[in-house]
Amino acid sequence: MNSGLALIPPAVIVAAALVVLLLEACFGKAIRDSLGYIGLGFLAACGFFCVRSWNKSYSYFGGRLDLNNLALVLIGLLLLAAVMVILISFKYIETRSLPAAEFLALLLLALAGAMIMVSSNSLLIIFLGLEILSVSSYALAGLHFQDQKSAEAAAKYFLLGSLASALLVFGLALLYGAGRSLDIPAVAAALHGASSLHLAAVAGLGLVVVAFGFKVALVPFHMWTPDVYEGAPTPATAFFSVVPKVAVFAVLIRILAALGGPGDRGGPFFWVLAALAVLTMLIGTLAALRQTNIKRLLAYSSIAHAGYIAVGLLAGDYAGVVFYLAVYLFMGLGAFAAVTALSREDAEFLELDDLAGLGFKYPWLGVSFSALLLSMAGFPPLAGFLGKFYIFSAAVRQDLVPLAIIGVLTSFISVFFYLRVIVFMYMRAPSREVDILQENPGLFLVLFICLLGVLQLGLNPGNILALIRMAVIGL
Amino acid sequence: MNAPLLSLIVFLPLAGAFLIMFLPKGRPAALRIVALAFSLCAFGLSIILYFRFEPGTAAFQFVERARWLGFGIDYHLGLDGINLGLVLLTTFLFPIVLLSSGTAIQDRVKEFLIFLLVLETGIIGVFLSLNLFLFYIFWEAMLIPMYFLIGIWGGKRRVYATLKFVMFTMFGSVLMLVAIIVLFTAYHRATGLYSFDLVDYLQLGLSPGLQMWLFAAFGLAFAVKVPLFPLHTWLPDAHVEAPTAGSVILAAVLLKMGAYGFLRFGIPLFPDAVARLWPYLAGLSLAGIIYGGFMALVQKDIKSLVAYSSVSHMGLVMLAVFSLTFEGTEGALFQMLSHGLSTGALFLIVGMLYERSHTRLIRDYGGLSRPMPVFSAFFLVCLLSSAGLPGLNGFVGEILCLFGVFRTGKILAILAAGTIILAAAYLLNMFRRVMQGPVTNERVLRFRDITLREAACLAPIVILMFWMGLYPQPLLRKMDASVSRYLQNANRNPRILVNKPLPAIKVPTPLRAVQPAVEEKDKPTHE
Repeated sequence: MNSGLALIPPAVIVAAALVVLLLEACFGKAIRDSLGYIGLGFLAACGFFCVRSWNKSYSYFGGRLDLNNLALVLIGLLLLAAVMVILISFKYIETRSLPAAEFLALLLLALAGAMIMVSSNSLLIIFLGLEILSVSSYALAGLHFQDQKSAEAAAKYFLLGSLASALLVFGLALLYGAGRSLDIPAVAAALHGASSLHLAAVAGLGLVVVAFGFKVALVPFHMWTPDVYEGAPTPATAFFSVVPKVAVFAVLIRILAALGGPGDRGGPFFWVLAALAVLTMLIGTLAALRQTNIKRLLAYSSIAHAGYIAVGLLAGDYAGVVFYLAVYLFMGLGAFAAVTALSREDAEFLELDDLAGLGFKYPWLGVSFSALLLSMAGFPPLAGFLGKFYIFSAAVRQDLVPLAIIGVLTSFISVFFYLRVIVFMYMRAPSREVDILQENPGLFLVLFICLLGVLQLGLNPGNILALIRMAVIGL
Repeated sequence: MNAPLLSLIVFLPLAGAFLIMFLPKGRPAALRIVALAFSLCAFGLSIILYFRFEPGTAAFQFVERARWLGFGIDYHLGLDGINLGLVLLTTFLFPIVLLSSGTAIQDRVKEFLIFLLVLETGIIGVFLSLNLFLFYIFWEAMLIPMYFLIGIWGGKRRVYATLKFVMFTMFGSVLMLVAIIVLFTAYHRATGLYSFDLVDYLQLGLSPGLQMWLFAAFGLAFAVKVPLFPLHTWLPDAHVEAPTAGSVILAAVLLKMGAYGFLRFGIPLFPDAVARLWPYLAGLSLAGIIYGGFMALVQKDIKSLVAYSSVSHMGLVMLAVFSLTFEGTEGALFQMLSHGLSTGALFLIVGMLYERSHTRLIRDYGGLSRPMPVFSAFFLVCLLSSAGLPGLNGFVGEILCLFGVFRTGKILAILAAGTIILAAAYLLNMFRRVMQGPVTNERVLRFRDITLREAACLAPIVILMFWMGLYPQPLLRKMDASVSRYLQNANRNPRILVNKPLPAIKVPTPLRAVQPAVEEKDKPTHE
């Protein structure tokens, strides 16, 4: 249905960002503590709208903004991620004295960008969304401006991110030259067509994939990830680990669906993506083995997870990909929430050594963090196992057995470093006194939700899977 | 009455763990009683299973089936003569282990009990699952509590031992996951149906080439668990470092999961691959018997001596399994149970000694039978049961195993029987140096004899040892029907063979028609 209502989700979020900034400007300190709740209110309104517009497929701008069911599911995931990040950040902002309004506004703007990406059908609009997401993210990464590491993270993110954007623009130019349009269906037609410009289209698509690879940190375009994850304020890191993944993989799903599956087996696109997936799984896992900083470890683990999701894309199992994204949302956000809990006014405890003995000192934190790590490692009956299972079984069904084997072997190796974190939490004597802020209801609520999500999606994902399958059928 | 007995047995311990999670940790005695009560309930229910088990039929009994995730991933439990004994063994040993940990585990009792109960659920689930997906879930999930049990309450090198244990087991099982998915895909391509069900897969005629690959993946997972000879290196570490409760469960039940995997999945699903590979597998089993025996001879540590004796005994079990004969299979099943009892008891006894002296080295002991006469008697019975003295359970299992092995290869049987003498050698030698002889260390004279709690742990085991040794008939006859059906599957003639790697595998149509009939036959049995 052609209707301006398709504009509502990003519009609400942008409005929220502006309102937050204005309120801070008008009332200053007086209102600082309630800004987060205002943001949550807007997010809830947006979520309500999404639920109401299920099955209505609003579209606008001649179909370029297309709020189909898949977009709604993904927007729902993005909203959930944003809600959890805000809940995590309440105490963190206060204790680490971050600028609350700026943090919230940037977060919401980045979210709006991601929403535009998942709901758009035109590569140009997707590019706009990506830029909104990226630019806000650069600023978010550097929000700790007294902290050198944070500044370094922002600079690195910015430099490599703009390189990726440049590549994306160049790729779009080539695609436009080949197809006279940047709408995904037209691009797909240009790729299928045997015109003389076919090569340009393929090269353009290649550049687009490389650029997206940068954004979700597919190896070899992952160099920025560990540093940015380490330097950025932890709630922002949680945001980076989930939201860009959801947005970019949504775009890739749209492109692949328009191309009619992952393409012919011999096609260059297929091989490039397969090579990226294999490298990402391998390098992400192997590099994580050597990390001693928990944020860097989670950074590499998030790289490896991007690799698994890429395998799902190759197997054409879009429902599996979306399910994995949902699962990763809980695992990634939960893990970073647990890391956020390990901070105090004057210090953050981010080395593995700091975790020693934590499991017994803070039992609920320890149990949730362990469950999330075990889920990431793919132990049943937690959700991570089911996510991997769907993706690898789709790969086997498509005769991609080697990819599935590499996948299970890397996830086997990954067991080692996830278990190592647990070894520190439960099986080592503490080396230095770590006491953390315990009155942090928002954060513990998030941990609880993530634990619940990981169990629910692992044991009884029935309704959620059905929803995702319904959403994907429309493609 | 039509209670879901199997589900109750599987999930009662988990419910207990959940309950304990919310009880205050300040009163460990109460927590222990709750845990013990839950595991005793599970044991009581499995006794009901034993008496209501219908020995005449080979079909699965007490079947429970429910849709779960769709696409063939169902909740499907069932009992037959192959897993009946193992379920009983598990539920029997867990209360004993919980009881025995009363003195050994003093800190973090709550967490210990939770992990132990979760472990029980995982193990029973492995034994009862008939859906491969469900089986895999239990198989993997069971690693987590074991990982914590060794890693938190273990000895000095516990972190190394527990990581090694988990990594070895995981390595085998991730490839099994791929193999399960391949089977699922093959079944789907052949019939158009989605299923992870063992009963369905048994109808599938796979090409021998594919069978080899799949058997390799399944076999690796099971062989690590058994453990077959070159993959055994995790076992001594894990056993030695684990707390007594962990060692008992590891040796008595966990190792059986590997052999059970071969009996339930590996051999019936891939008979052609087994027909081709069994000489090698039998060779590895024999190597395990000999290697384990000689290693046990030279151990200085009692616990690692018992651990290596497990390698040796499980080698004999596997040799009998690969003989694919009726006697051999029943013997293997029986030997699994009796090895569970005798090795479990030996680990308990080592734990009791350790609590008194805080050493496990043989040379620190000597002449213990003087201060501890009753204890010494218990020790001797368990030891002789492990060494296979006629009249005790070990003998029945071993002789049946050897009968089976003898029918497939005389040389194999002679070598196997010859090395069983080693068991008597290392066990009796250890007994002589620990319990008899002059008192070398004055400290041992102050050791108290067996306590009431310890006697309560050992007495049921010893009674069962005598019962199984003197009157094994009831147990064996319950296995007959299932074992002969298993052998039909394992020795069936090659059916429709397709040489293409994956697609186009035909299920013989009459068999598909038979399938629902089998299920209907199952239904009345649990009413």
